[in-house]
Amino acid sequence: MPDRIKKFLDSGALFIWFCGTAVAASLLMVGGVLLLIMINGLGFFWPHALVEMTLTDGTRVLGELKGEEVIPYSQTPEFPEGRTRVRLKVGNRDLYGLDFRWVDTDRIATADSPNDVAAFERREWGNFYGRIREVARGDDVVATGNQEGWKALQPLIERANDLHDEIEHLQRDVIGDINFEIEGTRLRIRELELRGQREAPEVSELQAATKQLETQYRKHVATLRALSRQLDEYSVVLVETNGSEKRLAVGQIVKALRPNDMGLIEKILRYFVNFWSVLSEEPREANTEGGIFPAIFGTVMMVLIMSVAVVPFGVLAAFYLREYARQGLIVRVIRIAVNNLAGVPSIVFGVFGLGFFVYAVGGTIDTLFYPEALPTPTFGTGGILWASFTLALLTVPVVIVSTEEGLSAVPQEYREGSLALGATKFESMLRVILPCALPGILTGLILAVARATGEVAPLMLTGVVKLAPALPLDHHFPFLHFERKFMHLGFHIFDVGFQSPNVEAAKPMVYVTTLILVMVVIGLNLSAVALRNYMQKKFKASAV
Amino acid sequence: MGRFAFANVTSRLCGNRIVFLCSLFLAISIGSSIQSWAASDSMVDPAWKDYKQVSGVSGNLNSIGSDTLNNLMTLWAEGFRKEYPNVKIQIEGKGSSTAPPALIEGTAQLGPMSRQMKAKEMDKFEAKFGYKATNFPVAVDALAVYVNKDNPVKCMSMEEVDAAFSKTRRRGHSVDIDAWGKAGLDGNWKRTRVSLYGRNSASGTYGFFKKKVLKKGDYKDEVKEQPGSASVVQGVTEDRGGLGYSGIGYRTSGVRAIPLSAKSGEGCFDPTFANASAGKYPLARFLYLYVNKAPGKPLPPLVAQFLTYVYSKAGQKIVIKDGYFPLPQTIITKKLGDTQ
Repeated sequence: MPDRIKKFLDSGALFIWFCGTAVAASLLMVGGVLLLIMINGLGFFWPHALVEMTLTDGTRVLGELKGEEVIPYSQTPEFPEGRTRVRLKVGNRDLYGLDFRWVDTDRIATADSPNDVAAFERREWGNFYGRIREVARGDDVVATGNQEGWKALQPLIERANDLHDEIEHLQRDVIGDINFEIEGTRLRIRELELRGQREAPEVSELQAATKQLETQYRKHVATLRALSRQLDEYSVVLVETNGSEKRLAVGQIVKALRPNDMGLIEKILRYFVNFWSVLSEEPREANTEGGIFPAIFGTVMMVLIMSVAVVPFGVLAAFYLREYARQGLIVRVIRIAVNNLAGVPSIVFGVFGLGFFVYAVGGTIDTLFYPEALPTPTFGTGGILWASFTLALLTVPVVIVSTEEGLSAVPQEYREGSLALGATKFESMLRVILPCALPGILTGLILAVARATGEVAPLMLTGVVKLAPALPLDHHFPFLHFERKFMHLGFHIFDVGFQSPNVEAAKPMVYVTTLILVMVVIGLNLSAVALRNYMQKKFKASAV
Repeated sequence: MGRFAFANVTSRLCGNRIVFLCSLFLAISIGSSIQSWAASDSMVDPAWKDYKQVSGVSGNLNSIGSDTLNNLMTLWAEGFRKEYPNVKIQIEGKGSSTAPPALIEGTAQLGPMSRQMKAKEMDKFEAKFGYKATNFPVAVDALAVYVNKDNPVKCMSMEEVDAAFSKTRRRGHSVDIDAWGKAGLDGNWKRTRVSLYGRNSASGTYGFFKKKVLKKGDYKDEVKEQPGSASVVQGVTEDRGGLGYSGIGYRTSGVRAIPLSAKSGEGCFDPTFANASAGKYPLARFLYLYVNKAPGKPLPPLVAQFLTYVYSKAGQKIVIKDGYFPLPQTIITKKLGDTQ
């Protein structure tokens, strides 16, 4: 026996088992986290069934069932397992005050899921659960009763959503353009004033142009008003399950569903429609409802700007350290410093970014190039550029280290061969060493992207906001607006999870946002991997 | 030894109360009813005026300050932009303490704060501009003390809340309330530890609570400082023995906002609109917007219109929607005069 154990130990199989277990444990943990996020996040889009209950006191409750728990310390001889209670999302926040409600199971007399109840997603106050009493146009009743009303409501909601799209187009694109021009002329006039050319003919021209733009603006605003009035044209009277009424403009309803009346295929289709609307829409109601498109956009764009900033810096530094500098004490100290930089907490980078980029660099840029906009800062306040640069600083050690790894893996013969064939040192760097080190560089980029996407703390100091009025990329020259503040998925999670007043209702949104953040990280990484493979192939061919 | 004796004395003194509370425990746990004090229509003041648009309002508006007001500001911004699609509003809410520096530096025109400016902050502002910053109360918040929804505690006096949160106990409660038994609960609650949730020190809520409840005493070290008001509520939801403070707007079905009495022995009042406006609830407070207004000069039109919007019917209805309490028209009329 001892012999066999000794043999087993000597063979090294034990060590392999240890390694295998370690890998399995890490996979299990990653898988577990993903699974948790997916279970909580993916359920959000499913049209849940509505349950209508009559309680023992005669009152009724209508809502989505959202879980059950045993009431603590409620074990009695009758209920050895303890009594239970269920949590319902009852919506109708304007009537009840809260979206959720706990109901003790033993108070439920009957429970049913009738086909004629509907969930109305509203633009304000969250969902309404109930039935339709009547649909009216002004004071004229168009349809009465739940069934008739439901039929009459469908086309009206569609029309209202079209109107909303039109309003949004008018607000964001048409009026947005005019504003941009007005702001431009205002700044130009101010600039001329600052130069002492208050009387220049250009000023009066600009003023005339502004006047014209303002007339245009007023015209569009009038159209906007008219459209908004159309939204209020039709109204619907809804009744909650206990009979209280609520009159609502049809324009307030985003969509109406009768989940109990839907087939499986219909539900699946609805699932994807919901998923898409979260991905593509703007947030509503202080970010607790609607979509998260601006946050996805902001995250991706910030990571791209960061990548553009970090790669050249990191690669140049690594080349110098590995290829040009004389290896000695100083280089070793620098290398240790770089490695330590990777361990500095991210918030410290945030403070540095705020002090150096925002206040020092940004403030100087403002006084030199944008004096006409002061005291409102242009670059002297947080923005996507400063946030990206701060993250670039944060991730530069990763790129340096992995580029150095890549460089050290290039055989010495390559360098000597290249030099022997008459290439200068620079030429052999560019043509021979760089292509060979490329996988290392891109691995560094992948690690940097993964690190940067998940980072929130430094961003909070350098330019992330809860609600950004405009995307940092649009059709106005110069297209990329580096000074603008932006939204970020990680901050969105923090904000919705910790700051939103209706945290219960917003919780699924937190998981959805987390899920999408993970998807964005995976997406960015996969594209970096694809880029690496492509470059590898291309440079291998040309280097030989 | 001394402490034990004290505890005995108090528990004997409170004996009657415990019996009373036990019967209440039953009543509440059977009920688990919804306190529907937030029915929105009851708070609407008919005297509020509709907002009227004016011409010539445009530009950028930056707001930096309180996180309690963060959602409210965002909702107002959404509403204001419907009136003026040409206005851009950017909102940062990382704590009331971030508002004064932003106003002083000029990086923000609006400084939402959940407390009044401290003398030190005001001095710095005055040193830069030569006059004081102007505050506009924009909503009423009842700072609620939350317990887990299962917790049967009927009422707490300010002394008891102080004794639970503070190590200095400046309000003079005789014992440190570290278990729910010392707050008068019985049964399995008696030994349940009080698990404290509070805000981080940049928050105006932290400062307000410290000033009003602790009488500027010190918080216990074991108070779990949370990064946001909603996470206090989340913590208390998950923690059966939890006790935390947060704005009334953050109430959920997982917690209960307990009635408070200003002094032990006095009447207990729920954090409702009626009690807050009658001055009966001890922790009612104004939420403010601070602006930089030179004396004798009108506010910039954009800022003035934003305030007018906040004080309009639409603006105050948003206050209700966000779970806070609106202002009475008397204050609004007075403050609207100040914007001119």
